[in-house]
Amino acid sequence: MIRLECSSFAYDGGPVVLSGVDLAVEPGTLVHVVGPSGSGKTTLARLLAGQTGAGNGAQFRGALTLGGDRLEFTGGPGDPRIDPAAWSSTVAYAAQRTEGQLSMMSATVAEEIAFGPANRGMPAGELRAAVQATAARLGLTDLLNRDPRRLSGGQLRRTIIAAAVVGNPRVLILDEPFQGLDADARAEVARTLEVLRAAGTALVICAPMLPGAAPGHSRVLALVSGRPVSDGTLGQARTAGLGRYAIGTEGSAPVVLPDPPQGWAAPAAAPGVSVKAGGPLAELAGVSFSYRGEGARGQAEVLRGVDLRVDPGDIVGLTGANGSGKSTLLQHLNGLLRASSGTVTVAGRPLGRRTATGRLAGAVGFLFQDTDQQLFERTVLREVAYGPAAAGAGREAAQERARTALAAVGLGHAAGEHPYELGFVERRLVAFASLIASGPAVWVLDEPTAGLDLRGRNRVGELLLGHAAAGGAVVLATHDEAFADALCTRVLELKDGRILSGGARRGAGGA
Amino acid sequence: MPRRRVFNPLTELLAAALLVVLVLVVNTWQFSLAVLVAAVVPGVLFSGKPRQIALAIAVTAGPLLVSSFLLHGLFFPEGTTVLAEWGPARVTAEGLQFAALTGLRLAVFTGVLLTAALTVSIPELVSTLTHRGWNRRLVFVVGSAVGLLPHVAERSRQITRAQQARGLVVGGSVPSRVRGLLMVSVPLVTGLLIDAAERTQLLEARGFSSPGPRTSYLPDTDTAGQRTARWLMAAGVLGFACAWYAVGAGR
Repeated sequence: MIRLECSSFAYDGGPVVLSGVDLAVEPGTLVHVVGPSGSGKTTLARLLAGQTGAGNGAQFRGALTLGGDRLEFTGGPGDPRIDPAAWSSTVAYAAQRTEGQLSMMSATVAEEIAFGPANRGMPAGELRAAVQATAARLGLTDLLNRDPRRLSGGQLRRTIIAAAVVGNPRVLILDEPFQGLDADARAEVARTLEVLRAAGTALVICAPMLPGAAPGHSRVLALVSGRPVSDGTLGQARTAGLGRYAIGTEGSAPVVLPDPPQGWAAPAAAPGVSVKAGGPLAELAGVSFSYRGEGARGQAEVLRGVDLRVDPGDIVGLTGANGSGKSTLLQHLNGLLRASSGTVTVAGRPLGRRTATGRLAGAVGFLFQDTDQQLFERTVLREVAYGPAAAGAGREAAQERARTALAAVGLGHAAGEHPYELGFVERRLVAFASLIASGPAVWVLDEPTAGLDLRGRNRVGELLLGHAAAGGAVVLATHDEAFADALCTRVLELKDGRILSGGARRGAGGA
Repeated sequence: MPRRRVFNPLTELLAAALLVVLVLVVNTWQFSLAVLVAAVVPGVLFSGKPRQIALAIAVTAGPLLVSSFLLHGLFFPEGTTVLAEWGPARVTAEGLQFAALTGLRLAVFTGVLLTAALTVSIPELVSTLTHRGWNRRLVFVVGSAVGLLPHVAERSRQITRAQQARGLVVGGSVPSRVRGLLMVSVPLVTGLLIDAAERTQLLEARGFSSPGPRTSYLPDTDTAGQRTARWLMAAGVLGFACAWYAVGAGR
């Protein structure tokens, strides 16, 4: 069906990022391409999608075979050019980031799905039928009249997949289709993909870890540093010892060293934060919250009478479905949101209406779910030094603390790079280092492990344990139950804005 | 409450453009005032979002109107009928009349064009142009910019929150606010550029620049009657303009 032979691929003047790959995908089969951050997964996905980068100075040596046609590439100017529109009618591609995947021209999901075939001139009657049929297959019929810019994560992914497959392509390439989705949304997307595969579509899914649950017939190609290290069935991949390449299995417990080696632990004793001995680091008492101006839903309460006490050494995990109020609760801890009723106390002081969020940054550090919206400096070092500098530390002192924090997340070598030139996992860790550098006693983390590879996930686990051991506290919202189970001293489940389970205190985990 | 759509976007945009042409051709403050009262004000009121449009008009036309009245009202060299005088400043009847003329004209322009632009349905316009077989690229550029605005606003809000969480304190003072704005713009623009690069690939892959005819998912809301009406309106305004200038030249 489709075959990629890549003897080498390099972006404009850069090092070789993919080599020695020979991947053939047959109709109705499922191939997982797994590998840690920077292993060449996205490059492989783009090559299959026909993006050989010929116009951007990239050098691709190898061949792409689609159906019976073989295109050979030598990395020179005489290489064939692939017409993206023609290629995508057979090979559809859904990229990792969802933001750039909407046409921004469609007021409804139906128009978004119809965008591709309409551009190819499909007659109006057929077009409607195709959109309806695709929506019915993928369970999107109820969403057809919704604004695609206002969908939940899982709905948006499925809309993008629907828009990619409406022309009945024979191959579908997906780059991290499950990133940032909760268990229900993942199941929705997985069902969608199985429907397509059963109908004969060849699927290629790129992800940092081996799938936790996948059909037994699926095949796994593992990449490390741009080279294949394992190619076989899922069962073979599970026993191939991929752990030594930092390729883990989704849903498995993180492996953390109980005593992190020197230099890995978080900077202890956050400067500038004074806490009364024995008092909580942060406390929510009877907090209720509703977003103003919610329209027809009126003042729907997102939080209802939440009590939460965070003491030194605590690692509190918040679980619950999307929309249960986890992120809303977290944002009360650093004043991004202010309680409609109840009190929030941080570092021994109650939060007033007029306490600026920026003034709390030294006491409470916040890691947002969307990494890219929190990186804004020219270099990684400046990025990480921003917090300490804003808190009044001198330039030298701020940079020193930034270097320590970067070393703690394992990115000491990347200080001079531009944050946007790093891979997803490194960007996530830069955001984490920015939080650490300000030295807050309380870390508030929204989905800290989403999209991380095995090494990144383990590193984050170690940082949390080190911080708690040094007298700090962590509150995290997560869909990663194995991670929460392994590390948290308490796991609280949120439902409809209330804390359901009491979260009996447990000893901190570790491997 | 959203406005009930009566006419096709093309008809609405053409009517707005022709109204502007008429005001330019006739060029008297009485006519501008009549158009303002009879067409623009009801248009804004029944647009479904009068506040938003009124605000947009005030922001665009307000400063120009004020400066025009100050400038022409107080310092109009050709003015002879002096109503009041303070040193070098003279309020003249001619100056006020000129200020009223330009001011009303400006109010009509901004009122008509902003009402049309802010209420037009971009997807319907693109669909109409597709059904008529016109080039949609320009419309796409304008339309996606309009479609992006809420997205950009939401994104800059998120970035500000992230920066506050890292210790940025935006105070009430002007330098502090300007600094806050600058801090937001870098990640905002970088993010939008990355999105745009990805979207370009997506658009290419989905055949946006393919040659050949295209179709539209939305039904054609244009009618033969409206097409005729558009031709008649355009011809009518053209004829009127010719006649107006002919009569004016003959006088």
